Amino acid sequence: VAHVLPNLRVTVLFFGRVRELTGVTEEAVELPVGATLADLFDHYAERFPALRPFRSSLVASRNQEFASWDTLLSENDTIAFLPPVSGG
Amino acid sequence: MSNTSIEDDSFALVRSSIDMAGVVRDVRAGHDGAIVTFDGFVRNESHGRRTLYLDYEAYEPMALAKMKEIGQLIREKFAIHRLAIVHRLGRLEIGETSVFIAVSAPHRAPAFDACRFAIDTLKRTVPIWKKEYFEDGAVWADGELPPAPPSPPKAAS
Repeated sequence: VAHVLPNLRVTVLFFGRVRELTGVTEEAVELPVGATLADLFDHYAERFPALRPFRSSLVASRNQEFASWDTLLSENDTIAFLPPVSGG
Repeated sequence: MSNTSIEDDSFALVRSSIDMAGVVRDVRAGHDGAIVTFDGFVRNESHGRRTLYLDYEAYEPMALAKMKEIGQLIREKFAIHRLAIVHRLGRLEIGETSVFIAVSAPHRAPAFDACRFAIDTLKRTVPIWKKEYFEDGAVWADGELPPAPPSPPKAAS
């Protein structure tokens, strides 16, 4: 019997210029267990190739905390891709 | 010394004009000796181009959480009485206030220091973005990339 890796489901948010670039504000996505924030970014960079050059000028958050790219995803996480902030 | 905590502070995102006088009134108390405010408003130009208006968006729950974190840091660093940080979102015209900060304290030095710390830290860490509209187009303002934390420790193998 083939062993199928279980998936986990996360909610993904885009803001600012990357929201405009992808046209995605919020959506749910499934990735294999063991996926990291970098894997999630790659998933979107394949779907939206114009997104890829933005990786070095984005920071990701996991459940409203800034997180490094090698952070493991967990079921029901909320992940956001955040461009440089410009409030004030 | 006044006996207040972060629970007495106020952090808000609003979509209409900021009631600056009301914010100041709310941080003011009899044992204070000073209030310092910061009023950040929309400039009429950016890098030499005439600005028409700005449009602000935020990751609202995270922005509020980060504003509260600024308050917690301020309470560790400075002897203040009360702090209020209000940021406006949506379309703002030239001259309209986008961010307003008020800090009350028994003495002026911590009020000045805390107010400066609040706006400087907000501009680096709070997930809010502005798009600048000009006569010939629009751009997302250059911003600051908040530092990501170090990588999580690797599980022992």
